[in-house]
Amino acid sequence: MLKVAIVGCGKIADDHAAQIQRIEGCEIVGVCDREPLMARQLYERFPVKQHFSDLRELLCDAKPDVVHITTPPESHSDIARLCLDWGSHVYVEKPFTLCEDDARTLIALATEKGLKITAGHDDQFRHAARRMRALVQSGFLGSGPVHMESYYCYELGQTAYARAILADREHWVWRLPGKLLQNIISHGIARIAEFLSGDSLEVVAYGFTSPALKRMGGSEIIDELRVIICEQERTTAYFTFSSQMRPALHQFRIYGDRNGLILDQDQETLIKLRGKRYVSYAEKFIPPVSFARQYLGNLATNARSFLARDFHMKSGMKYLIESFYRSILEGAPDPIPHSQILLTTRIMDAIFAQLDAQQQSVESRVQASVY
Amino acid sequence: MGQTERDAFIIGSDELILVTGASGFIGSRLVSCLLNLGFLNLRCFVRPSSEVTRVEVLTGCRRDGARVELVEGNLLSREDCNAATKDVAIIYHLAAGRGEKSYPDAFLNSVVTTRNLLEASIRDQCLRQFVNVSSFAVYTNTKKPRWRVLDESCPVEKHPELRGDAYSFAKVKQDEIVAEYARKFGIPCVTVRPGHVYGPGNEPITGRVGIGTFGVFLHLAGSNAIPFTYVDNCAEAIALVGLTKGTDGEVFNVVDDDLPSSRNFLRLYKQQVRRFRSIYVPHSLSYVLCYLWEQYAKWSKGQLPPTFNRLRWHANWRKTRYSNEKLKMRVGWKPKVPMAEGFKRYFEACRNGVRDA
Ligand SMILES: NC(=O)c1ccc[n+]([C@@H]2O[C@H](COP(=O)([O-])OP(=O)(O)OC[C@H]3O[C@@H](n4cnc5c(N)ncnc54)[C@H](OP(=O)(O)O)[C@@H]3O)[C@@H](O)[C@H]2O)c1
Repeated sequence: MLKVAIVGCGKIADDHAAQIQRIEGCEIVGVCDREPLMARQLYERFPVKQHFSDLRELLCDAKPDVVHITTPPESHSDIARLCLDWGSHVYVEKPFTLCEDDARTLIALATEKGLKITAGHDDQFRHAARRMRALVQSGFLGSGPVHMESYYCYELGQTAYARAILADREHWVWRLPGKLLQNIISHGIARIAEFLSGDSLEVVAYGFTSPALKRMGGSEIIDELRVIICEQERTTAYFTFSSQMRPALHQFRIYGDRNGLILDQDQETLIKLRGKRYVSYAEKFIPPVSFARQYLGNLATNARSFLARDFHMKSGMKYLIESFYRSILEGAPDPIPHSQILLTTRIMDAIFAQLDAQQQSVESRVQASVY
Repeated sequence: MGQTERDAFIIGSDELILVTGASGFIGSRLVSCLLNLGFLNLRCFVRPSSEVTRVEVLTGCRRDGARVELVEGNLLSREDCNAATKDVAIIYHLAAGRGEKSYPDAFLNSVVTTRNLLEASIRDQCLRQFVNVSSFAVYTNTKKPRWRVLDESCPVEKHPELRGDAYSFAKVKQDEIVAEYARKFGIPCVTVRPGHVYGPGNEPITGRVGIGTFGVFLHLAGSNAIPFTYVDNCAEAIALVGLTKGTDGEVFNVVDDDLPSSRNFLRLYKQQVRRFRSIYVPHSLSYVLCYLWEQYAKWSKGQLPPTFNRLRWHANWRKTRYSNEKLKMRVGWKPKVPMAEGFKRYFEACRNGVRDA
């Protein structure tokens, strides 16, 4: 029986506990939160053996084989280091760390100790995302990706979340180098990183505050971000984060030199784009039929998964956790290669550095005009 | 406030009263009710993120000679709680994570906040009453004869984690922690449990009538009485329970008189606010559906969340009667705004909301 612990008993910990519960051959031996009441409420709602408010006590008493770290991002590094030092494998929620250096240190430590470590990029393991990966690996795109577009949006304007963050300067989001963006964009960036090697990467980022957020008094928060990524003048990608565009897409498009694919995470659909054109008017009539057929196929696949009780909202998380546990127990490959985790953090570092520089230049321009 | 009423109160009109959740739907009415009762020294605790318009209502409450102090903070911060409870004689604790859908968020803003406030109140020894505002959501209604009266003697849900409702889980745990601190530290506490509080500011149709989750409104309560209390009536009940002598350690339910049946309410709503399609689901059918949903959620290991289940059915849609006898007898409360007048104001606010949408 694999002994699992969860550190940090907030919202995402509920998802972890629920998915771990669905996996055979493991048990939650302890949950821990600095706030004892939070640890207790998770313990009371799920089959959990003990609850703690001190991480060292959890490690000592419950002796977990794996620790899931679901605390606010700024504490990921320290907690993961402690767990690795103790000899536990670690699953770190996204964003993995606050910067690439921290990520490198953690991965090096895990490797040195012969322990497994992974990042919570669970969206990449949802049903349609897995089908997409299989198609790409089978050579559907041609000789490899030429261009990608990743949309990762968030309807910020209407949420109490935005109001709460804006009003509470003590909220941990303010202490992240990339503030709000850091907490949200890693899923969308990780999708791109999966298909890059990381050699001679160029990142150009442009961000601004939407008028809607400005009206709410959030001019210090960037909620509109556009990024161009270019690798060796071979593969390129656009990344879009928007709090205002509708629909608030979570979509990934990948084009090779032969065909393309569109993955829609919200609808759990994968659509093949045929590279070759049909002759003359046939191009106007055949593709719509083909798309209709593909959407019906997606509908059937989704319905089948639902009937088979395998269509949970967090199905990607279960798959990732299961794969991670298999890598621990059976020596199966890491579900997410370490290079991908590092590349995701490197791209995010580059984005935030540029946004910082932009902000500073705006501030200095404002100052110059004042003097 | 007359001299006899004043004599029955546990504090004088100059003593300091703290209201948490003061910018909330009920909190803002409670502040104005306390001022109307002649209390002159109020501290209103609001979050910096509270809606400005609601905070403005509080500042607008100020009367001649009365001090309405606005304290900004978050009950999740112990320092903020210490500052808020300093020199306070009565705490009306209304702040809660009412709209939170997730268990951790609801718990954090209802239970951790309450614990922080209770601990802060121990430091400062001048507290004479801690008024814990709970809810009907904590009661279980299982194993009772049909139409039995739900009153203060009814048991509280033993397994709120199985109700599929983050809010009721948090409110049960809030009551537990209040009871624990009262027992351990001798904090004088009284609990008020309102039914569904309605009025301008809380326009949605209560889930006790039915649900609109599936695109069409399913009317589940039929001929059941709905435990309505108009917001001003409820605020007055809360105020009086906190002020009246001899209520320590007790529980008071709040519902108005002349409770309408769900069917009547829905008919009036459709007449006065807007027409929409609703389907009546008989009780036996809604019970079976809740049972099936519960079993499916279990069998599929959460593919559907356990939102509908028998515990929830019993608590919300089972035929029940309600009583406000204790409140009337012990604190001398009676609903000043009759149901017809309350509905008039409520429907008007709903109509304005529909127009603005
Ligand atoms: N409405 C009903 O039908 C009903 C029925 C039974 C019982 N109750 C109880 O009555 C009380 C008041 O309800 P309501 O209808 O007035 O709800 P409400 O309008 O949502 O008010 C709740 C208040 O609590 C504040 N709050 C939440 N978390 C806080 C925190 N961490 N620190 C400080 N303040 C915090 C909110 O502040 P923000 O304004 O900043 O969000 C809000 O002002 C609650 O305890 C509720 O459970 C209500």
